[in-house]
Amino acid sequence: MTGPILQVDALVAGYEPGLSIVRGATMQANAAEIVVILGPNGAGKSSLIKAIAGLVPVTSGSVALDGQEITQVPAHQMVRRGLAFVPQTDNVFPLMSVQDNLRVSAGVLARAEIAGRIDEMFQMFPDLARQRRLPAGSLSGGQRQMLAAARALIVRPRVLMLDEPSAGLSPKFVEMVFAQLAEMRRAGLTIVLVEQNARAALAIGDRAYVLVEGRVAHEGPAASLWHDPIIAELYLGQRKEGAR
Amino acid sequence: MNLQFLVDGVLSGSMVGLGAIGITLTYSILRFSNFAHGDFMAWGTYATLTLVGVIGATFGATAPLGPLSFGWPLIVAGLAGMVLTGLMALALDAVLFARLRARGQSIIVVMASFGASMALRSLLEFTFTSRPTYFSRSIQMAMPVGWGIRITPDQIVLLGMTVVLVTAMHLFMTRSRTGREMQAYSQNAALARVVGIDVARVVRATWLLGGALACAAGIMVGVIVQIRPLMGLDLLLPMFAAAILGGIGSVPGAVLGGLIIGLSEAGAVQLIGAEWRQAVAFVILMAVLLVRPNGIFGVRER
Repeated sequence: MTGPILQVDALVAGYEPGLSIVRGATMQANAAEIVVILGPNGAGKSSLIKAIAGLVPVTSGSVALDGQEITQVPAHQMVRRGLAFVPQTDNVFPLMSVQDNLRVSAGVLARAEIAGRIDEMFQMFPDLARQRRLPAGSLSGGQRQMLAAARALIVRPRVLMLDEPSAGLSPKFVEMVFAQLAEMRRAGLTIVLVEQNARAALAIGDRAYVLVEGRVAHEGPAASLWHDPIIAELYLGQRKEGAR
Repeated sequence: MNLQFLVDGVLSGSMVGLGAIGITLTYSILRFSNFAHGDFMAWGTYATLTLVGVIGATFGATAPLGPLSFGWPLIVAGLAGMVLTGLMALALDAVLFARLRARGQSIIVVMASFGASMALRSLLEFTFTSRPTYFSRSIQMAMPVGWGIRITPDQIVLLGMTVVLVTAMHLFMTRSRTGREMQAYSQNAALARVVGIDVARVVRATWLLGGALACAAGIMVGVIVQIRPLMGLDLLLPMFAAAILGGIGSVPGAVLGGLIIGLSEAGAVQLIGAEWRQAVAFVILMAVLLVRPNGIFGVRER
């Protein structure tokens, strides 16, 4: 595989016709890399990955996964194509048990495979295994994020997109979540990460895009981006001092 | 004190509860109050009655099964009626509700269900007249079972049918893939799409099951009471009350809600007077909702 796994070209998307939030964004993610999407509030970061996931109507541009066009594929078929998405909030089924959350999310797998895959998720997230019979709504914020990640990973996606997984978590949990993401990347997963917590995200990211008003205003290796004074001043602002 | 009201209450509560399952599913999954649900019940019953007639015309008169008032034709016709009512609900969704739902304003869908309700009822009155009719005109003797309670063989069988249907429905919702997907969709529609749940499949299952159970409830009313075009409309408010009382989205809740409504109405008839039956049922509904605003099995929205 030589080309990028995920290729987004000049994507224009928005909830209302004629009211675009994503205004011509172009980005790509290669195999086994973490791509970070940064930007000020309202820049369209969440809308961009939701549009890629088929949850925000796309008016023009294209999204390709592994060279195959998926721009107009309905959201519920994205998982089958290998694209998993973890929304920032409301990312579990609150009244269903932890185990049933995983089971209902594993519908695209072969029936015989599901029980084994649930066990693998419980090995990966032992905290969840202890709470398997509890309703997901009773979990703490950190445990919920773990369940949301396990829910997405259970189908062995090629690309995992996460919308601000550190939002509302304690610093200890943030560290844990990011360490786990780095581990998944080492295992070969491609990760697209939208984050407000720029420092933590850039620390584990390979490349980053800075989105402003729905367009990519800057891109580059994650390691150097944090030290880029123009980027810090323009787009990360005081967040650089305040982050973490 | 005569305990007969217990049997009467459980019977009418079963009819209400079976019907309320469809209402609670439609409300929690499709997010609207379907006021045509009572008419699904009536249509299902008339469809079953028509099929019983067709079977009778084809195979000749059949003897009732043991002590029951009906024979195998009602069982076969009832099963076919349940399928037909599910399909009718599905067809109504395709031509009416789905188009309006796509516009995203649930109040328009609710008003459309009012219109559909009236149209369906008028069609029944036009086709079958508003005169009551029956699956069987034979009179059954109620058997004494102790403590002053009497029950007919039909009533025993129909109570058994309710237990089987409710248990099957509960197992379906909690153990089957489609049932779990229906639960997931009712709890978080956007996430359901993200995890790969086919919304169209969930919507189809909701209409098919709701319609089939409405038909079963209607057959129960038809066997125990009588068949009229207005039979569903009469049960509409108690069915909504049962769904709300049990907690929107909960199948066991809808049935328990139905039983509470049925028993309190029957108790009111015996203890206070028949004219107070609905008032007592609704006072109980309000009292329960004051203590548990989301119903017995309902969970507060986060």
